Amino acid sequence: MSVSTAPETARGTETMELTAPDIPWVLIVWNDPVNLMSYVSYVFESYFGYSPAKAAELMLQVHTEGKSAVAHGSKEKMEAHAVAMHGFGLWATVQKDGKSG
Amino acid sequence: MAKAFTSTRKGITAHLETGERDLLRKLFADIIDMLEPETPAHTDPLAALIGLDMDVQAPRDPALLRLLPNVVRDDDAAALEFRQLTERSLRETKIGALRAASLALESEKVVLDADAARLFAMALNDVRLVLAERLEIRDEEDADRIHQVQDWSKAEDVDSYLALVYNFVSWLQEGLVQAMLSGVRASN
Repeated sequence: MSVSTAPETARGTETMELTAPDIPWVLIVWNDPVNLMSYVSYVFESYFGYSPAKAAELMLQVHTEGKSAVAHGSKEKMEAHAVAMHGFGLWATVQKDGKSG
Repeated sequence: MAKAFTSTRKGITAHLETGERDLLRKLFADIIDMLEPETPAHTDPLAALIGLDMDVQAPRDPALLRLLPNVVRDDDAAALEFRQLTERSLRETKIGALRAASLALESEKVVLDADAARLFAMALNDVRLVLAERLEIRDEEDADRIHQVQDWSKAEDVDSYLALVYNFVSWLQEGLVQAMLSGVRASN
């Protein structure tokens, strides 16, 4: 499920960003005491297409460390992921990579 | 008594009694009420088309804020700017899932395909997020305390009733998600 909320345009700056070796935006999913561990795994597997092992690893990191960086990429892409996560009821934020949450 | 969701050849199925289905429909309707936008869609057709809403503010109700969270931490201005672009369509996504889940409860035997199951799980999750906020579940300890409330014969106040409802919805969602996970893994 992907909710695209802003028109996607191919701007020059984005092309530059996408070819850079390190795209500096990150999607963070935060822990909460409500979301079921199985549901968080399901979202990571079904939405991102992660393997059960990778989804479980990220889910456990959210659970034990309070958060996990589950995707990296352009700002626009991370924002679209965040809206999708909010659709699922997961609490996700975007930030520049390297910034401590 | 409800029979949990399981994966079958016909899809993901469960049995829910009339009272249980009525309860779920009522809960879905309550969340739809919370999510209905307070102002009509923008009169500018382009703004309406992309769901732009310059009048929107972060919700004051913590339960609604949990359903429609800020996308940026520690930067209210950036979070609000993003909210203006996205909140209306997020509300519509959630309302769509809640309506679909409600419609799936027409008969005692509930049968869901993969898409309907995803929408049903999203709807149950939103119900749980709102109930958790009302029950003040802030950490794992709170969650464990609420989880202990299992005896319907002792539902004597609003909080114990809400806790029982929360546990029922959690149980239903857990079974559904387990059935969905086996489907996702089979198709990947």
